[in-house]
Amino acid sequence: MVYIGPLVLGFIIGFILGTRIKPNPESKMYFPASVYVLLAIVVIVMAYQLGPFPFYTDSILANGLISAFVGIVVGKLTFGRG
Amino acid sequence: MSTILKLFAFPASVVFMCYGALTILGGHITPGGGFQGGAMIAAGIIFSLVVYGVDKTPIKLSHNFMASLESIGAIGYIFLGLAGLFTTGFFLYNLGVDLYHIVPPNIVNIFDYPDPIHAGIIPYLNFVVGLKVLVGLSAVVITFLESDKLIKKMESN
Repeated sequence: MVYIGPLVLGFIIGFILGTRIKPNPESKMYFPASVYVLLAIVVIVMAYQLGPFPFYTDSILANGLISAFVGIVVGKLTFGRG
Repeated sequence: MSTILKLFAFPASVVFMCYGALTILGGHITPGGGFQGGAMIAAGIIFSLVVYGVDKTPIKLSHNFMASLESIGAIGYIFLGLAGLFTTGFFLYNLGVDLYHIVPPNIVNIFDYPDPIHAGIIPYLNFVVGLKVLVGLSAVVITFLESDKLIKKMESN
């Protein structure tokens, strides 16, 4: 059973942070969608290695970590396009 | 900063922020909590600020955003405290747990945190404290990094 509490709070924290990620025209650095795909893989591997932290029984992944990352991506896509 | 560091810093910052969020979420049953998680999120933001500079960082916190988030954190904390005060007479009474069985069940259900521990308002307090801390620590570094601009502006005036 997956608990809704950490999913919702993690998403909200990630969403708040994701809205602040904006491409800066003054900077020459450019982070395309492939960076986020790579980050998603890293986060999933990290969540698997962490295990069901901090609830220990509900799933094989750390739900809060994944929901925070999803929140960051959604926040970036909705308000962080610059 | 070197190009390799610039390529690495932003993705690492995102991972820091995700892990900080996870630390906030586990605050009621594990070592960590709002302050520690907020500090980890601030570390991610500060990492980008130091590597890219305050003008070119991809994670840009504006003054209004920081003021709003800090206020939301403070007001959320006060709200949770006052909810306990008005319902039971005790400031910050844990309405979601209700150890003394003095709160109506419908109010307990509102403040109950849906996880196996049912920690009541503690995770929500961690959340609002995390918001305040991430903004507070980031604001200190942003202020230091912008001090040159501030000094030049004061000198020109």
